[in-house]
Amino acid sequence: MPRRTRRQQNTAEDDGSVRGPSSALTSFLREQGINAESVRLRYEENTRREQEMAEMDEQLRQQQLDTVEEEGIGSTEGVSATVSVGLPDNLGLDSDEEVYEGDEEDGEVVRIRERARAKRRKVDGEDGDLDGSHDVGKNYCIECDKEFVVTVYSKKMEKYGRVGYLCPSCTKIAIRRERLIKRTEIEARKRRKKIAAALLDKQAYSIPSLQDFCVKIISDNINDVDLLGDIGTNNRQKICRILAKKRSLDSKTMQLFLDPSMKELEFWDCSKIDKAALNTIPSYCPKLESLTLNMCGHLHMDNLLYYGDKMTNLRYLNLNGPFLINNDVWQDFFDSKVGKNLTAFHLRNTHRFTSDSLVALLDNVGDRLEELTLSRLDGLDSKLVYDLLPHYLHSMRHLELSYPHKEDLVDDDMIVNLVANNGEHLETLILDGCSYLTDQFLVSGIKPFCPNLTKLSLNQLDQITDNGMTQLFTDWNINGGLMDLNLSRCVSLTDASIYKALEHSSQTLVELNLNSLSGISRKMFLRLSRNIRFPLLTSVDIGFVRSVDDSALAIWSRIAPRLSILEVYGNSRCTDKAIVRADLRIIGREADSI
Amino acid sequence: MSDSDEEISKYITLVSNDGFSFQISREAAMVSGTLRGMLNTSFQESSTNTIKLHELDSLLLEKVIEYLYYNLKYKEFVDVPEFDIPTEMALELLVAADFLDV
Repeated sequence: MPRRTRRQQNTAEDDGSVRGPSSALTSFLREQGINAESVRLRYEENTRREQEMAEMDEQLRQQQLDTVEEEGIGSTEGVSATVSVGLPDNLGLDSDEEVYEGDEEDGEVVRIRERARAKRRKVDGEDGDLDGSHDVGKNYCIECDKEFVVTVYSKKMEKYGRVGYLCPSCTKIAIRRERLIKRTEIEARKRRKKIAAALLDKQAYSIPSLQDFCVKIISDNINDVDLLGDIGTNNRQKICRILAKKRSLDSKTMQLFLDPSMKELEFWDCSKIDKAALNTIPSYCPKLESLTLNMCGHLHMDNLLYYGDKMTNLRYLNLNGPFLINNDVWQDFFDSKVGKNLTAFHLRNTHRFTSDSLVALLDNVGDRLEELTLSRLDGLDSKLVYDLLPHYLHSMRHLELSYPHKEDLVDDDMIVNLVANNGEHLETLILDGCSYLTDQFLVSGIKPFCPNLTKLSLNQLDQITDNGMTQLFTDWNINGGLMDLNLSRCVSLTDASIYKALEHSSQTLVELNLNSLSGISRKMFLRLSRNIRFPLLTSVDIGFVRSVDDSALAIWSRIAPRLSILEVYGNSRCTDKAIVRADLRIIGREADSI
Repeated sequence: MSDSDEEISKYITLVSNDGFSFQISREAAMVSGTLRGMLNTSFQESSTNTIKLHELDSLLLEKVIEYLYYNLKYKEFVDVPEFDIPTEMALELLVAADFLDV
């Protein structure tokens, strides 16, 4: 073939010769593979090709006439044979089929030519010529095969396995397309980022509502707002929470949320609200029945005493971190008329609430308390006082004793007594971090005495075993089923007991936490899938259970039709290929990270 | 027949308390939970395709309608332009948005 010899020539020239000094233009042209020789060759090639094309057209026309004549006698095979012989060699046409098609119609000639050209291009590429210079030298657009003059603006690209240039019009289109791709890519990246961020907040991304826009503007300009007016309790609460989250709730802005008609008040971040501002709460909201103060390190002893004097309607008090209040003031508060009214008392994170304070609380309101939380109270270190709890508390609905100062403060006997006295009313029992507890409180406490229990949280109870759990949930007929079960980090539990628990509460369960239960195997999911359905289950945390894989996710998706949040942190076998319902959000997969 | 014709009318008229009326597409009106509720029941509003909003003046209503179309247009997108709200209007608009459930 003529082209092959030319290529050999080219390479010989490039390699062998000695060159003198050259200008920038010369070296540019050489670099691009443009030289007088190649330009000449290209010109010759072009003229030859035009000639060939003309010849081929002529031949085809001739053949067509022949075929018309031969139609009656000659077979198709004969025709194609003739054609393939007659065609010029360098077109590289070797298949009979194409030629046969070609002689059907006059217009087909053009298509043959195009096909031939495409083929030629392909042959070029397949030659695997690493040199590439001869390709560059021919100025045919790599895309549309149009002849053009290479300029510095021509776009060089690799396509169809070879390197080449685009003609000006193709360059323009390619550049525009590239920009567009870049833009859509940025857009897509932003979208992925937002979706991933929303996923971590356990939400699906959606366009913000008009209320969200307004709340944002208001909280940005909260310092200029004199009065919120009648914006609805929900919106007021929403703004308050957003301000707390942005840590911009302070002595001035908190005044906006005080209203004489308020019955419930919650400030989730009080760290910037000073003593004087805290004192205004009872005077502005005399009807307050429920008060929640989170991170209330500024809550002074005088404040609590003042509340004890003024908030006559207060029933519910939830304090987190009130470490300025000492033992004496706690006692005075519980002795006050407000303290004696309380039915719900939640306290977390203070070391100054001591055994004496608890005794004062129990003495005053113990028999009427319906809700009690004692969480992370390191001043409460007397076993004797803990043991008093069963003697005072009789009508508990919500009980939380979590993360005691020492683990042996909360033991089986105390909980069994407590549950025996309060069992009928008890709806919520949270014993997180009371790791001294064993199977005994499950079997002889919860099982016989808790018919109405709906929420059970036993985080980090590493001493409870399969034996106890199985006994509790086997034939636990007095209890209709739990709605919220948290067994995270009860590391001794395995398939058998967890299956029993899920079987017992399958019809009622709404939230389930099985985090870090490494004893769960794949078999349990298969067993669940064959036998159990969870009609109400909406949220499951099954993180750090290594046996969970894509198929387990698919099973959860199927057996719990209302499941909307499934947390799988630390389960490296869960991938984005899991086949689950579209409305089920899976959180914590490696593949979802930004 | 005329009843059903009216029901599938593509446009809804919203009337503000100072007498301005706005013609918006049914699709846009459906963005608001409250309007959707009014139009999907057998109330008078759904047969006449006209809703009188006594709580909103024309300025507020105009902004609300702007949002309805904004929501309709950008529902599927992530990188959307910020919806512009004049600061002084934010509180009143919040009340309106709360009422209309948007």
